[in-house]
Amino acid sequence: MKHGDYLEIIRLAASAAGMEVTLSRRGFLLLSACAVASLSAFGLREALGGEAPLVILDNSKGMILADPSRCVGCQRCELACTEFNDGRAQPSQARIKIDRAMNFGPEGPTGGPAMQGTWGNGLVVQGVCRQCPHPVPCDTACPQDAIQADPKTGARVVDTERCVGCRLCQRACPWDMITFDEERQKASKCFLCHGKPKCVEACPAGALRFVPWRDITREGLPGGAAQSVLSAAKAKVCLECHAPAQKKPSAH
Amino acid sequence: MAATPGGFSGKALRVDLSTGKISVQDTIDHYGDLLGGTGLGYRVLWEEVPAGTGPFDLANKLVFATGVLAGTGVPCNGRTAVTTIFPTCWPKPLVASGHMGGQFAAKLKYAGYDAVIIEGRAEHPVWLFIRDARVELRDARHLWGTGIRRTSLEISQEMGANCVVAAIGQAGEKLAPMAIVANSLSHSAGGVGGVMGSKNLKAVGVQGSGAVRIAGDKSEWEKLIKFHLSILGGNNQQVVPSFPSPQSEYYNPRSRWVGEPGKRWGAAEPPIEITGDIYDLNRIAYRTNNAAFFLGDGAWKHTVRGNGCTACPIRCHTIIKVPAVAARYGIREMAQNTCAGLNFGRAFFRRLPGGMKGQTALEACMVGMHLADDLGLWCNYGQLQRDFKKLYYGGLLRAKLGSDEYASIPWDKYEAGDPASLFDILPRIGQRRGELGQVLSQGTSGLFTQWSIPEESWSLDRDTLYWKMGHPKHHANEDDGQCGVIINTQYNRDAQCHSHTNFVRNGLPLNVQKKLAAEIWGSPDSVDGVGDYTPMNVHKARRARWSLVRKELHDGLGLCNWMGPWVASPLKSRGYRGDDSLESKLCSLATGRKVDREELDRIGERIFTLHRALTIRDMGLLDMRTQHDQVPRWVFEDPSGAPPFSKGTIRMDQADIAKAMDLFYEIMGWDKATGAPTQEAYSRLGLTDVGKSLKAQKLVPGNPA
Repeated sequence: MKHGDYLEIIRLAASAAGMEVTLSRRGFLLLSACAVASLSAFGLREALGGEAPLVILDNSKGMILADPSRCVGCQRCELACTEFNDGRAQPSQARIKIDRAMNFGPEGPTGGPAMQGTWGNGLVVQGVCRQCPHPVPCDTACPQDAIQADPKTGARVVDTERCVGCRLCQRACPWDMITFDEERQKASKCFLCHGKPKCVEACPAGALRFVPWRDITREGLPGGAAQSVLSAAKAKVCLECHAPAQKKPSAH
Repeated sequence: MAATPGGFSGKALRVDLSTGKISVQDTIDHYGDLLGGTGLGYRVLWEEVPAGTGPFDLANKLVFATGVLAGTGVPCNGRTAVTTIFPTCWPKPLVASGHMGGQFAAKLKYAGYDAVIIEGRAEHPVWLFIRDARVELRDARHLWGTGIRRTSLEISQEMGANCVVAAIGQAGEKLAPMAIVANSLSHSAGGVGGVMGSKNLKAVGVQGSGAVRIAGDKSEWEKLIKFHLSILGGNNQQVVPSFPSPQSEYYNPRSRWVGEPGKRWGAAEPPIEITGDIYDLNRIAYRTNNAAFFLGDGAWKHTVRGNGCTACPIRCHTIIKVPAVAARYGIREMAQNTCAGLNFGRAFFRRLPGGMKGQTALEACMVGMHLADDLGLWCNYGQLQRDFKKLYYGGLLRAKLGSDEYASIPWDKYEAGDPASLFDILPRIGQRRGELGQVLSQGTSGLFTQWSIPEESWSLDRDTLYWKMGHPKHHANEDDGQCGVIINTQYNRDAQCHSHTNFVRNGLPLNVQKKLAAEIWGSPDSVDGVGDYTPMNVHKARRARWSLVRKELHDGLGLCNWMGPWVASPLKSRGYRGDDSLESKLCSLATGRKVDREELDRIGERIFTLHRALTIRDMGLLDMRTQHDQVPRWVFEDPSGAPPFSKGTIRMDQADIAKAMDLFYEIMGWDKATGAPTQEAYSRLGLTDVGKSLKAQKLVPGNPA
């Protein structure tokens, strides 16, 4: 595929994902769920061809589990992540995310009774990568297949050689866990530090643990991980395994 | 300006509120030999603020400066020094700094700045918006009159949830000398809030997405950080636990390392029990619980968690939750602070129902934090409360206040130990209402100037803990004999030095301390047991100098002198040694410029000497020894008449203290007669220009100009 084609795919996929407009998370998910159908309706599947390889990633071997009630908001995990891996202290580039929810929690400075964070109920909810199972939202969204499983840990890692900085993975992650390096114009994400996560080592309160990966999406409440952005090239390949949705037969 | 190799951001913001001009200045070229922090602040004042400038004068400047290591993963960084002509300094305002922790220092570095220099006065209330390279002055008229909490919330709504806000409350707006600026709601710098108010600057909001680079090898850096963590103790670097443990050879009930396995953060949801290895580096955050340390075991069940500054594993700002106060006083059920801030409310009372560690005491602390941290009122290290009690119980308030005003204060509630009385008393002071508010908001100096109370009635009374120049003692002879006394003579506010007390109060037995002391300061005699003092010797003078130098050095590096230096450790395997060269190792790796301990200490001494020079210049006096370096009378007395150097007394001997000052001046290379640095001392430290300028004003000892 020529370079221009890639750009076109990115443009189209971005357009389908509604990247030009600001959307709420729910709006984004609703829209991206329509992406496959839209692309198909416009005949893009044909235009894009099916030559992009689809890699079904094995499950990750491990993941980082965070306990918010133990988090003391010191950001040592963010600093360990960036200093020991990148040689610079920079929470905005950390692959574990504390800063954004530290003061007020995920809802922000609403001032309401449900406000979390240091200035609310004290709870700091850490942002950690779940190392999602197939279909891995960030990887699935990547038109370059730049997100792959680390052979040793199974962590979903960004291959910076392949990454073209399109940010689709960033839009695709349901947990907003993709970091984007503005300087290098590359995506970055938690790669479990090759099996010895620096953040876990750095936590002074034992709020982070490195545990074997297990799929709990079917054990918890309904409405778990959602498929988000699907690039056009991937969309076609999915249909090879997944039959088009049938109307569910009535239980009665 | 390219990015620096590491440590420094390399830039300072200069904001002229009068003209609205915002500019960026290189810091390494101009201030690099002073690192940052207080050093940068003193230099700005030396060069740009003329002698005789008052704190609220247009010409006064306010310097928020952090340091080389702020924003990195070095444990216990996160400090910002706020340097200005200090309004509570009496009889003449002189240079001093307020110090704050919190998130401000790190965010400022991530935004790309080592310092913010505030000049002039805005036409109307403004706040300073800093988002990386984008810096603006924004209208703050809608915020004027609101407390620190609302101001921080509204600015966070405008900037984004992850900003840090340093704001003043009503006390600062009203130009109260006893006003704070606080960032992250509860991390305050005392005394400087009124200076912000005088400049019509309500707040500074900072968001930073950039990096503090580490110039050295990152695996070396990781190793050093882990080593530093391994030699940490609890709060104030107390290296033995307060409880006996099979893991620990020693324990000391006075230690702030109170996180004993089995204790619980009872108000966490669900509660968290402290378990496991007390030395585990993934458990450091449980060692310190200052609510439990100050308020007793009852505070554990109210503990939500520890909080504190960016990158610090010692969480000395304990978050406590007391649901009863929501119903009883209509205030938030959660609050956080440390030490003097935590004790703010309780300290107003002579007695409280249930005692000073009971439920009412806890509620008084909650009410105090709620009011003081919102009004932005400073306690001057507890002097406000001690003054208040002495004034009330000594009948001075009845004598000095008008009868209507006196009668309007609910004294019956106050005497009964009802925390609700603080809702009447603290806003009067914070908002400067009435005679009481006008005078007490000026600090102790207000009593001397407004009510003609002679200073001696404070400096003779050891219960006031008053030291000099409007300020109390801060870790003086009660902790560290002559060393503490020397340190307390040197500043223009209460001494903000903890280097000495962090060693002598580290909890290790005296014989271990002496062994370490011999290695660090050349003699076991450099350290005495607390309250068991021996006559002065040169080694103690050496340790006093080391303490002061490291204090300024820590401010210059953005490190916390409430934790450092780290010359003792909890590690039996190291013979309880810490590392006296730790700061230089950290600084070398961060900046990529190799600097050894001696050179770094010389920088600390340079900063300290610049403070001395500024004090001499602004006092217009050479004779520091008798006019500045004073010791209050109570230091030389003992309530039960015990002679100096007898076990159990902190009484000092006058001739011995004179000798202590002699030895200290000598070791600093200062003139013994005047206590002023000589031209050689200035030159040796690269301050030749400073010495020359003072010489022209006949303010250098020896041959006059």
